[in-house]
Amino acid sequence: MTSINKNEGTTLKSENGNSNKCRRITDWLYKAIINRFHFDGGWIQNHIANCPRCNRRLVDVGKVNLALSAIKSQPHKLDLLKRANTQAIGVLKHSLREAPKAEKLRAMLPEPKLFEKCGKYAHSTANVAACITILLLMKIGIFSSMDTFQTQGQKAVEQYYAGQVGEDLADEIFST
Amino acid sequence: MFGKAVNYELIWDFPVSGTVDESQRWILSAMKRHGQGLVTLLWRILGNEEDVCDAYQSTFLQLAHYKGRQKPEHIKSYIFRVASNTAVSMLKYRAAEKKRLSTAIVNRGGAISPENELDSKYLQETLRCHIAQLPEHLRNVIMLRDLGELSYAQTGRILGISAATARVYRCKAVQLLAVWMGKEREERK
Repeated sequence: MTSINKNEGTTLKSENGNSNKCRRITDWLYKAIINRFHFDGGWIQNHIANCPRCNRRLVDVGKVNLALSAIKSQPHKLDLLKRANTQAIGVLKHSLREAPKAEKLRAMLPEPKLFEKCGKYAHSTANVAACITILLLMKIGIFSSMDTFQTQGQKAVEQYYAGQVGEDLADEIFST
Repeated sequence: MFGKAVNYELIWDFPVSGTVDESQRWILSAMKRHGQGLVTLLWRILGNEEDVCDAYQSTFLQLAHYKGRQKPEHIKSYIFRVASNTAVSMLKYRAAEKKRLSTAIVNRGGAISPENELDSKYLQETLRCHIAQLPEHLRNVIMLRDLGELSYAQTGRILGISAATARVYRCKAVQLLAVWMGKEREERK
């Protein structure tokens, strides 16, 4: 696949090109397969409805997913981390047990991740970002329109003067 | 002379013990950084708080005694693998004990009702038993990806496989679990 050149740079470039091409083809194939065999596809739905074997398989896979979701959604007590840390630190050597960090770990409670903490602000942040973008676009649009308006106006006045008092005089007036 | 030697020994001893203490501090750092994730993973695998504490303790004890108290190169990988292996051993043991002790109860519950089939606790326990029986490579992926909620890339890195392989293993694991869940339902009918 890779063209062998004496120039190393060219080889690298062609390798990159090939890998990009491969990636593009993979993406394209993936999209094509998804479009054809997507679960919502009518013929798949019809087949599942009429085929008892596929029906049963779908039910079983659904059950696995349901059980996984149930396991994930089951909460544990808030102090579990604290208890686990205390028990684990208890079997470490004395110097580690007495370290100030160990004391903190013994009192540690689970904290939501930064992503989860910020999750509730995500919607409003997106709204603010959208507003800022719209304002920026409007500002850019207004200023560019004003510039165009000014240039066009100046040209019109220049042409008027050129028609009325002659081009030489008009050039003299607008060049200063 | 002897007194001086003793004094030197004391002076020599003090910094040595100090450096050993310092070198083992990384265990506490690892506990702080990965503890929460580890507890969540163990809780999801075991579903029992006492067992979670035991598995957690065992994991850090193994970490403290890793190759003559050395620091593993990839602590996260080591901790997560040890924890999941410990949890699976406990799960297998628990399942075997349960089977041995409550054969009569299981036999009595032979006719499974539709509401029991959708019972959350029953489903969870059945799935846990089946996960413990999966081949190791599939089990590791489903544990880290689904129960540990790590990304495919992280799962792959921990297990030393590519993200795509992890994805394939996960798919195979779910298929196998589905087959086993289906078989159990048929057997009970």
